Amino acid sequence: MRNILVLIQRFYLFLLFLGLQAVALVFLFKNNNYHQSEFIHHSSDWVGGIYSKRAQMSEYLRLGEINDQLSLENAQLRSQMPQNFGMIHLDVDSVRDSITFQRYTFMTAKVVNSSVNREKNYITLDRGWNGGVKPDMGVIAAGNIVGVVRSVSEHFSVVMPVLHSDFKASVKLKKSGAFGSLVWQGGDASIADVIEIPKNIPAAPGDTVFTSGFSTFFPAQMMVGIILEVDDSDNDYHLIRVRLGADFRKLDHVLIVSDILKEEQDKLIEGVENQDAANSRH
Amino acid sequence: MLQTVVINIIRIIFLILLQSLVVSRIQLFDGLILPWVYIFGILMLPFETPRWLTLFIAFAVGLLMDYFSGPIGLHTSACVVLGYMQPIVQKILSPREGYDLTQRPTVQKMGLAWYLTYAGVLSLIHHGWFFFMEVFRFSDFFYQLLHILLSTFATLVLMTIGQYLIYNSKSSQS
Repeated sequence: MRNILVLIQRFYLFLLFLGLQAVALVFLFKNNNYHQSEFIHHSSDWVGGIYSKRAQMSEYLRLGEINDQLSLENAQLRSQMPQNFGMIHLDVDSVRDSITFQRYTFMTAKVVNSSVNREKNYITLDRGWNGGVKPDMGVIAAGNIVGVVRSVSEHFSVVMPVLHSDFKASVKLKKSGAFGSLVWQGGDASIADVIEIPKNIPAAPGDTVFTSGFSTFFPAQMMVGIILEVDDSDNDYHLIRVRLGADFRKLDHVLIVSDILKEEQDKLIEGVENQDAANSRH
Repeated sequence: MLQTVVINIIRIIFLILLQSLVVSRIQLFDGLILPWVYIFGILMLPFETPRWLTLFIAFAVGLLMDYFSGPIGLHTSACVVLGYMQPIVQKILSPREGYDLTQRPTVQKMGLAWYLTYAGVLSLIHHGWFFFMEVFRFSDFFYQLLHILLSTFATLVLMTIGQYLIYNSKSSQS
């Protein structure tokens, strides 16, 4: 017994070190789990407050550039107004459009902090749950996908962008219509990879990559980027390098996508999966 | 005594703000060089700080830094390693008669060669641990190694310049 006490006395610093290190690692690995991110990290309000002060200052210095971006986007939106489209022909009876309904709504938000130089980058937005943001909403900038909201505090939310080693989104090639997964493997902040597309499906540089609309994060046909090169050195699947449409180094104004039917879709698939699980148990 | 405590607390808070608001925005070569200068606040703790206190301060600094940037636990883990190793490195580098109470781990008190060895070894330990914990894969080992070495070098350069800017040789009390 006394020997143990002597041992503890001699090595108490090392034990203290192990204890503190264990606490840190528990924080780290508990927090890394994508779906259990209950732990609010840097979306906590006081840190967000400091970041938004800085963002205000640096935004002031870039007002000209932001104006250009906004007026460009205005022009694009204006060109999509219905009065700009003529009717070509009508050879069937038109149906009153009571069967269409709005599925996605968009909320504006400003970026108060972001990084592009880490393995796991995050973006902080100045809109939280009292602005209607919930986890798992998609985030886009000028029509290009940016990321998915991961955790939300009262006034701020943290987005896991494409530039995060755990990010994965379902995407589609424009020409072939083939589905693949968008991932980011570190390094250049303007390039991501599409994987899981078999080699028998053609893919060529210059083709456009869209979201597939399978997940409830983004609507279908959202721009992801343009194919830069196709690397076939690996065995079964293409490794497609994509130049991302969004410029993550210069994000200011983004839109948060809210899917009105998300709950319905998720509940449906969950119900089917539970049923399958129950059936396989018998 | 009280003055030393207050100065160290202010220095740590200032460095964490400097790190997260200014230095982390530096993006050289797509993140190949990423200096973490906030560890200067831990490196500058007086020699007579008890080892358990160094560990707890390092833990607190890491946790605070994690609140500003990225997953909780990453900086904390690296800082705890730094806090454990710091007194050991100090002991290895100590002059024959030990440190006296007026000495501080600065260029002006200990000389440039001593300071560069001290800060260089500890930055390398911190950055090495940090970047390997962050990435946790050995597939691009040499890129990671280059990443660690260049970031350590950048941290060291910034901290040394900082020393010459902040302390003048006559009035460095803490």
